[in-house]
Amino acid sequence: MSTNPEPAVPRRALLRGAAAAGVLAATGPLTGCALGGGGGGRDSAHGEKSAANPLGVDPAAPLEVVIFNGGLGEEYARNHEVMFQQRHPRAHIRHSATQEIAKTLQPRFVGGDPPDVVNNAGANQIDFNSLVAQGALADLGPLLDAPSLDDPAARVRDTLLPGAVESGTFDGRVLALNYAYTAYGVWYSGRLFADRGWAYPRTWDDMIALCRRIKAAGIAPWAYQGKHPRYLSWPILASAAKLAGPEVLVAIDNLEPNAWKHEAVTAAAEAYRQLVVDRYLLPGSEGMDHVQAQTEWCRGRAAFVSCGSWLENEQRAVTPADFRMTLAPTPSLTTGDRLPFQAVRGTAAESFIVPAKAHNVAGGLEYLRVMLSKAGAADFTRRTSSLTCVRDGAAGVPLTPGLASVTRVLAASGAHTFNFRYGQFYRRLERDLIDAACGEFFAGRLDTAGFTSRCQRAADEIARDDSVKKYRR
Amino acid sequence: MTRTDLDHSPAATAPASEPARRPADPDRPPRGDSRAATAFSHLFLLGWAVLTTFPLLWALGSSFKNDEEILTDPWGLPGALRWENWARAWSHARIGRYFLNSVIVVAGSLTLTMLLGSMAAYVLARYTFRGHRLVYLLFAGGMMFPVFLALVPLFFVVRDLGLLGTLPGLMLVYTAYSLPFTVFFLTAFFRTLPTSVSEAALVDGCGHFGLFFRVMLPMARTGLISVAIFNFLGQWNQYVLPIVLMQGEGAQDRWVLAQGLTALAVSEGYAGDYSGLFAGMAIAMLPVLLAYAVFQRQVQSGLTAGHLK
Amino acid sequence: MRHGKRLFVATFLLPPLAVYGVFVLSPYAQAVQISTTDWGGLSPDYSYVGLDNFLRLARDPYLWNALGHNAVLLLVLPVVTIALGLLFASMLTVGGRRRAAGVQPVRGAAAYRLVYFFPQVLSVAVIGVLWKEMYAPNTGLINGALRAVGLDALTRPWLGDPDVAFWCVLAVLVWSNVGFYVVLFSAAMHAIPRDIYEAALLDGAGRASTLRRITVPLLWDTVQVAWVYLAILALDGFAVVQIVTGGGPGFSSDVIGLRLYSTAFGEARFGYASAIGVAMLFLTLSVAVLALRLTRRERVEF
Repeated sequence: MSTNPEPAVPRRALLRGAAAAGVLAATGPLTGCALGGGGGGRDSAHGEKSAANPLGVDPAAPLEVVIFNGGLGEEYARNHEVMFQQRHPRAHIRHSATQEIAKTLQPRFVGGDPPDVVNNAGANQIDFNSLVAQGALADLGPLLDAPSLDDPAARVRDTLLPGAVESGTFDGRVLALNYAYTAYGVWYSGRLFADRGWAYPRTWDDMIALCRRIKAAGIAPWAYQGKHPRYLSWPILASAAKLAGPEVLVAIDNLEPNAWKHEAVTAAAEAYRQLVVDRYLLPGSEGMDHVQAQTEWCRGRAAFVSCGSWLENEQRAVTPADFRMTLAPTPSLTTGDRLPFQAVRGTAAESFIVPAKAHNVAGGLEYLRVMLSKAGAADFTRRTSSLTCVRDGAAGVPLTPGLASVTRVLAASGAHTFNFRYGQFYRRLERDLIDAACGEFFAGRLDTAGFTSRCQRAADEIARDDSVKKYRR
Repeated sequence: MTRTDLDHSPAATAPASEPARRPADPDRPPRGDSRAATAFSHLFLLGWAVLTTFPLLWALGSSFKNDEEILTDPWGLPGALRWENWARAWSHARIGRYFLNSVIVVAGSLTLTMLLGSMAAYVLARYTFRGHRLVYLLFAGGMMFPVFLALVPLFFVVRDLGLLGTLPGLMLVYTAYSLPFTVFFLTAFFRTLPTSVSEAALVDGCGHFGLFFRVMLPMARTGLISVAIFNFLGQWNQYVLPIVLMQGEGAQDRWVLAQGLTALAVSEGYAGDYSGLFAGMAIAMLPVLLAYAVFQRQVQSGLTAGHLK
Repeated sequence: MRHGKRLFVATFLLPPLAVYGVFVLSPYAQAVQISTTDWGGLSPDYSYVGLDNFLRLARDPYLWNALGHNAVLLLVLPVVTIALGLLFASMLTVGGRRRAAGVQPVRGAAAYRLVYFFPQVLSVAVIGVLWKEMYAPNTGLINGALRAVGLDALTRPWLGDPDVAFWCVLAVLVWSNVGFYVVLFSAAMHAIPRDIYEAALLDGAGRASTLRRITVPLLWDTVQVAWVYLAILALDGFAVVQIVTGGGPGFSSDVIGLRLYSTAFGEARFGYASAIGVAMLFLTLSVAVLALRLTRRERVEF
């Protein structure tokens, strides 16, 4: 019961190994060859374009959606599928969810038989750099220029939050829709702070002073995701951007020489090194994965943790009822910072892509258009406690404590919101190399100079590697 | 060296009757006789037994805890027997379904592996023909191949045969990847069987086929059991192959256990359902451990007989 | 008879060869071909680059780092596992009280063998997940045990320490394999005539020298088989490393299998990953041959 239609194009036989064993005769019809590709002989399904069907969806073409079954689950997608079905009742929708996006889908990309919509996310996602470099993604331009489902007079791109389109742009083409809007910063328990009479520090000096008090109260000031120490590189880079302006981050994204050795990055790293020197990190953190460390924090063993706004959903099972999870911007390093204290890193994340070779590209784009409708966005926020990249997409949705604080923080940050994308451009650089440098740094085995030069070496290594496609911001 | 015989347990053999013994050298009392040494042995043996069982018991205990207990008190006993964790793992995480799939796939592939493997091994062990050495090397060399080198081309082979995401497809692939080991060991095994029997049987008018099925297979029983158990464990625990080959629409209904459990472990990293994870682990562990406990004699002697040549 | 034989050989050999050729040999042959291309794996486009991948591989520091860990595994895993296996097996088989009646197995030998064998029947996925939880710094059993007996000084973030993580993986590999070799060696020792041990006993040989002078030489064939198995396992180790440490922290427990895997499925570079695979293939073959050569000894007949 194969889901894959037989390829129309017969392919070059390559069964040399079998031939050597003299059994080719037994394998008559078998002419498979991974390298042969194939399946690309078919055009993607399309129908008549009209006001009601601006993307020209073939009403009878099946649509296949593959969802990453991680922190956000897969249920929200089922609802989007229902909404799609209402618009195209004759389309048969195939839904599947997996945590192993790369392993499951890579062979299908090669075979010219990818699904129509892929939620490419999670630790085992397909490397974006490779997807783009190998021309595997459809341009989402037509979708962004199509009229919005809620207001035919507005284009889809006009209904999105600032930065949403940019975060999916590679070499000037929009190739990914980053659906969930994520704010990054420092998290604490509103209730713990209220009980103890602590106030969130606005400057780094205050942070260190507060850490001293917290430690004296028998609580570790900071927990961190020791097996993924890059979580702590985020506040360092955020502090650097606030100190000297977001250009610092652009230089890092563009792999410029000595970008990591910029004095602002050095100053930020030096500030956070204080947490190591004064032993303000929860003991044992370096052996914990993200859930373990965040759970310690939820249970009141630590006061602060660095994370993105998916934290609330991820910790839902273990968060005490009146915890009042709260997000705050990183403290200002100096009184003369270029950006105000309120500035945070905010970006659309959680990528959805339409493969270039999908059998129903138009349907895939249409599905994304459904996701970007107000109803689609509100339902997503309701189910996942996560914001979408749709402007006012959470209107009318009752906000959980964490989500409410994320909304407040993003509103306060406004035009000062910044972002960096090197981890998306060069996955290995962030997830492996910078990660390793952070591990050494926060375990106290590297000083600040050692840390920044190790990060720089890693970035230079990627810059030199001719097998990696380069991007610029 | 002789093989151990299954039905001939060494404990049953009476020690040789006392021959005229040389008295031991009085200056060197047999040190081994001391109680201390025996106690020391026991201490060592017990230590390893604890090391082996404790983690398993811990996982079992944790499968009854709630997340709070798991996270706060690794040593504590569960506050209650929370079977709902098991129910959740069985139905919601669908471990039950995956279990059944595993049973079906392994039953099929094991049968096929043993049949095809013993056929090839028998011919390689007992007959000479052109290309004999090449065929043997092809099979034996397969034991050295790193499996994921073949994954992507394999995907296409399976897809082009229309077997992607199907249980029969997975059975065939399991069988193919179990053949190297099976052929390698059974060939060695068939070589150890006496040739006089086969000559006699051939003279008696028993054809090549009859000889194989009526004489050789029964004689090779120990080797077959040993290899079958080995293959059972290997196929039951296989984890890269199903992940690549069980995909597409509805394939999730045909996932196997290792796949389902890894998925559960990964999703635990996103959802933090520790108790469900431990319950899933317990469900995955217990039947195999119980089956092993029941058939331990066969498993142990079978598994090891094949290597003692 | 001649003709019958031919037909028989063909009938018996072709079905297994067909299955094997289609599902094993042909994918490998294709993979070898892929190793000479720059194919990424996400589109059908590729071009031949000759031995480029192999040259890159020789200069890849991450690969050498991983290979170094495999080399350590190759040296340590077989030695430790076989030593423990022999030790426990001899304790079980001839470690009991020595009476006039001769050599006894210890009391409860069967129960020990039953228990020791448990890890062998568990899926590697279960073992990996289980030990990942065992090593957890605060919620794991290991630190819990150390705290319980007052050895707080010894607690550490096991998998978070680059100096320790790799040894943690090694420990899991040993833990999960020792049981099998205990049973294997026990069975082999049962085949050794008891009077040999009794003679040794009469000569006043202690346990250690019995093990060294009698058991090991007589079991050498079995030890050799064990060595080859464990060597092949040491070159892999992928599943345990992937689940327990993911190769971290900072590549400190990386192994070559994981390199191949993440190059293919993480970075979508199939040409390069296949080249790593081909290199692994040669490595495994040479190690197996080497293991057989190095452990070759005179066979002891009895």
